[in-house]
Amino acid sequence: MGLEQYLLMRHELVLTLITLIILIAELCIKGDNSRKIRPFAIILFFIATVVGFLPLGEGSLFGGMFQTNGMILIMKNVLNIGVLIIFIQSYTWLGNEENKIKVSEFFLLMLSTLIGMDFMISSGDFLMFYIGLELATIPIASLAAYERTKTKSAEAGIKLILSSALSSGIMLYGISMLYGTTGSIYFSEVAKSLHSSNLQTLAFIFFFSGMAFKISIVPFHLWTADVYEGAPISVTSYLSVISKGAAVFIFVIMLFTVFRAMTAMWQDVLYITSVLTMTIGNLFAMRQKNLKRFLAFSSISQAGFIFLGMIGGNELGMTSVVYFMLIYIFSNLGAFGVVSAIANRTGKENRDDYDGLYLTNPKLSLLMMIALFSLAGIPPVAGFFGKFFLFTAAAKGGFYMLVLIGVLNTIISLYYYLLVVKAMFINKSETPIQYFKSDGYTRLGLIICFAGIVFTGLFSFVFEYIRVYAFGV
Amino acid sequence: MSSESLILFFIVGAVFVGAVLIFSSLVPPKSKNPQKSEAYECGIPTTGITWLQFNIGYYLFAILFLVFDVETVFVFPWAVVMKELGMIAFVEIIIFFVILGLGLLYAWKKHALIWE
Repeated sequence: MGLEQYLLMRHELVLTLITLIILIAELCIKGDNSRKIRPFAIILFFIATVVGFLPLGEGSLFGGMFQTNGMILIMKNVLNIGVLIIFIQSYTWLGNEENKIKVSEFFLLMLSTLIGMDFMISSGDFLMFYIGLELATIPIASLAAYERTKTKSAEAGIKLILSSALSSGIMLYGISMLYGTTGSIYFSEVAKSLHSSNLQTLAFIFFFSGMAFKISIVPFHLWTADVYEGAPISVTSYLSVISKGAAVFIFVIMLFTVFRAMTAMWQDVLYITSVLTMTIGNLFAMRQKNLKRFLAFSSISQAGFIFLGMIGGNELGMTSVVYFMLIYIFSNLGAFGVVSAIANRTGKENRDDYDGLYLTNPKLSLLMMIALFSLAGIPPVAGFFGKFFLFTAAAKGGFYMLVLIGVLNTIISLYYYLLVVKAMFINKSETPIQYFKSDGYTRLGLIICFAGIVFTGLFSFVFEYIRVYAFGV
Repeated sequence: MSSESLILFFIVGAVFVGAVLIFSSLVPPKSKNPQKSEAYECGIPTTGITWLQFNIGYYLFAILFLVFDVETVFVFPWAVVMKELGMIAFVEIIIFFVILGLGLLYAWKKHALIWE
């Protein structure tokens, strides 16, 4: 029993530490501190991200409440990379006149949610899981209402807190039934006593509904578009990438460990919801004119594809889900970065406003095109490989029909992604968005996304790295 | 796969909730008069509507108070086992206090403690 065993929760400790440091800095710096806090927080978080990549063994703490292994470590690192990009991208927006007085709150709340997600991912029992989940949800609602003078932003906050309260309630009901039938809240104990009795099936359905709210799977997706549209763009990208990613990670861990005994049952559930999610997400995305709503529905349909990786229940599936999330972070943040850069400068976020963008801002439109191609899954960019591995994992599990539906949905999704590309490259406009030069931080964020999209796709060792690190093969 | 237990679960749930609701509406003595349906406010008749906007300051004070209220709840069980756990428990509670204190300092700096 030495202190070094606490190194196992290194991610959480470092994040807590930098959260406190930023809070103290906010208390100490007098007057207008936005200029100092922003780079300070980004540098601190960069250090935390680098520290996260140091190798670490596996083990558990607090009598099994907290556990970690190679896979969990990779997941936390993937989330860290995403948050770092979001911090860099939101630099300019945080410098706005109305945001200046609450800059440090942005970082504090984001880091708190990240701590919650890290605890959630490495939870070893349902209690720790639930605390992590709530810590990851409640600050997000206040972030969604960050621009509190705007009605839509306040509405987004209210909608988010109400729908997540409902989903938490349903999930807690499911957890209580699991506890009732197995007599334990520890994952390892629960896994041993599960035997697909009816009450346990019901408990899983309730638990699944709660998780589906977070991942925005179709029957539970209704909050997504409104919240994504109303929240500030940085928070929207956080919601669509990091929140969703953390929920996907813990869900895949739970399916593969806790609910291992009920595999046949949850495969049915995942099959139906995955088909629904892909199709309905796609159909709604076609009709959206507002790019934030459009990206919201596109992220719903991406969640359906992620289920393809889980459904096989094999190691390849778990690796491909993490790999896909990494690519998804880069491509979605790339798309959101362009939308945010243009909205910051002109306030326009509709598809029609992007007509003729290529003639005035060629670099931005090229990046947007690559990000959208990656989301759609067109071969040279990374998104193709992400989807390819997801489909392989599903096919390995014997779900050929589902793979076919997935491929069909990819083609449907191509239509609406290309609509945006067409608007930028082919459509002519009387009043295109004028040429502008973004500042350094925006460009840095976009360059990281661009490099990520190209790099993770071209070099296969990223996938191998995840697989070897996670399973040691 | 038999589903009797599941059906039974739903039936018992529905019957129990329904029975309680019906029972509680049948049993108690009823007396209806206009005074009874009024909003209660210190025993005197209310004036104006009750859907008023009120100062957000009340809310803020209540939350700040609540934080330290809950803190006491955490400190009591700590105090009970402190002797057995020794130094580690002491350090942990100090960390807890420091974080709470930072929160209070933050509220102070943001002028949350000034009544406007």
